Amino acid sequence: MQLSYDYIVVGSGATGAIVANSLVEAGVNIAVLDVGVEDELYKEIIPNKDFISIRKEDENQQDYFLGKQFEGIPWETSKVGSQLTPPRNFLTQLTEKLIPFESDSFKPMESMAKGGLGGGWGLGCYEFSKPELDAIGLKESEMLPAYDAVANHIGVSGIKDDAAPYCLRDLKNVQPVSELEQNLSGVFTSYNKQKKNLNNKGIFVGRSALAVITKERDNRSAVQYKDMDFWSDTDKSSYRSWMTIDQLKGKSNFVYHKNCLVLKFKEHDLGVDVIVKRTDTSEEQIFSCKKLILSPGVLGTARIVIRSFDYKKEQLPVICNPYCYIPCLQWRMLGKEIEQKKTSLGQLVMYLDEKNDNFDVGMAALFSYRSLLLFKLIKETPLNYADARIIMQYLQSSFTIAGIHHPEKGSASKFIRMEQNANTYTGDILTGQYILSEQEIKTNESREKKIKSALNSLGCKPLKTIYTPHGGSIHYAGTLPFNDNGENFSIHSNGKLGGTKNVFVADGSGFKYLPAKGLTFTLMANAYNVAKNVLKNG
Amino acid sequence: MENKSVHIFEAERIGNYLLGINVQDSEKNTYADAMQKLNIQFSKYEQALWEKMIKSKSKMACIDAALAMKEPNNNVRRKLFTMLAILEASPNYTSYFLSRNFSFFYIFKIGLVGIRAVWRAAIGIFIINSIKRKCN
Repeated sequence: MQLSYDYIVVGSGATGAIVANSLVEAGVNIAVLDVGVEDELYKEIIPNKDFISIRKEDENQQDYFLGKQFEGIPWETSKVGSQLTPPRNFLTQLTEKLIPFESDSFKPMESMAKGGLGGGWGLGCYEFSKPELDAIGLKESEMLPAYDAVANHIGVSGIKDDAAPYCLRDLKNVQPVSELEQNLSGVFTSYNKQKKNLNNKGIFVGRSALAVITKERDNRSAVQYKDMDFWSDTDKSSYRSWMTIDQLKGKSNFVYHKNCLVLKFKEHDLGVDVIVKRTDTSEEQIFSCKKLILSPGVLGTARIVIRSFDYKKEQLPVICNPYCYIPCLQWRMLGKEIEQKKTSLGQLVMYLDEKNDNFDVGMAALFSYRSLLLFKLIKETPLNYADARIIMQYLQSSFTIAGIHHPEKGSASKFIRMEQNANTYTGDILTGQYILSEQEIKTNESREKKIKSALNSLGCKPLKTIYTPHGGSIHYAGTLPFNDNGENFSIHSNGKLGGTKNVFVADGSGFKYLPAKGLTFTLMANAYNVAKNVLKNG
Repeated sequence: MENKSVHIFEAERIGNYLLGINVQDSEKNTYADAMQKLNIQFSKYEQALWEKMIKSKSKMACIDAALAMKEPNNNVRRKLFTMLAILEASPNYTSYFLSRNFSFFYIFKIGLVGIRAVWRAAIGIFIINSIKRKCN
């Protein structure tokens, strides 16, 4: 059976949902093709209560805190997705089978879920500076209105403080900032006392702009401070891409096709054929459209493009932010009870902008620790479990975790490669290599040292730096770098894929540089612009 | 059925070691269910360690402490870790895991617990070395 639409969007994640929404609003006829894995196990059994009440009252909490197969008791933490809570595990379900990736030095996380990796997004919204957008290959004049449009759609809360030049900039329609929890409040107070000295060293701390609403809108509740952010989306106060897809399902010009793994496309005079392998029947199916917009995520797009160009180029560059996290002990909070109403999100961010030019800025998102449960923290101590429990119960409230992202550029030692392999579901497999140069490692270590010193001066004593394997930041880009010459395996700045007439790419495949600040908000703004360009193109 | 009773016995011992109390049947049953699903396999050395640990609470503490320093990913610790997670995710034992306002003097207890942990590790290292020698 062949199905025909004006526009087909591949993927329902952060970018796919924004493209789909923009096209539906323009009144054209569109279909989204997606594998669309959903959580069928946990959604219904998590009570709509706060974390403390659940912990004290719910007899069935083991089912979702530990998982029905006890998958929430992670023993091998190096495995991709092992850090996800059981109700979020569906995000990586089927990926090993459908889109395998093999590498010793690069461990990316991908998703086949409805809403994609957006389902696990930390919700930080960062409007990139002009130098950052220039380095990526995007025009500031086009991106600023796109940021506003996306913020209107998803709902962003924040406040203009020292961090505003690094995240909110001049974003319009921002909702009031969320209430700051006790742990981070101490850090912020300390920063405000030493602000001048820290600013001189290029350190700026401020409230995060988050895709979390603090005022009710569109059937979404204002944030309830239940501290269940890693476990459920019951209130819909945090934006997730699946919400957009569910909203669109009611529109007559929108169709959502589940169980569709897009393999490749073929262009012809009348448009594009999209070849799909159905994940429910394993049969091939062809969809046709006038224009195709690829947004299954950077690695997914690379697979589709390499296959569509008959494996003529098997190796592509890739960029991924190096990431590490540092548990710190905040002495002010020692032995204190954590408040009942809070969120688990990174409400405070530290930026290191040594040259004061808003470029190559280091970033540390600050979190407190509670709702991921104490036993995971106990495992990291070099003590026996019984004694470690007593000590960690006392220290729990004083842990402040700093998640450090570094800015990143491509190099010859960072690439992905597609190899044909008859034993896999799609007949090929993606492999890769990600190795930083000695100079890059040195630069990152120097940045970490400065951030740690700043944390120390804010009363947060860094205990240990934990490095995640490359890929752990879950920020990927740069496989088909922006280039306006129309070459194959590149993307024009309007989003069109080089060497094609009617195929566009709306994810981060074209980004030539990755600022340390989270890129999801920029990905969505770029996707909004790509949708506009697709419509302009007829 | 036999396996289940073995697991229930293990749960009783581990629960007593971790919290110093007799844990309820519901948690013991959850542990037995977890062991069935996780199917943790032991090497000859791990089996010897486990047999020693299950015999007494103090040996369990010492071996756990030594392994935490020398072999944190040893499979015998996985059994203890599973029970720890089960106890935390049970409303019956919430107070053992949630933060609370401790008095200033509690810091002395923390210091003593820390010293005890190091002492246990020292004894534990002696025990695991002797088991290792026997297994080789």
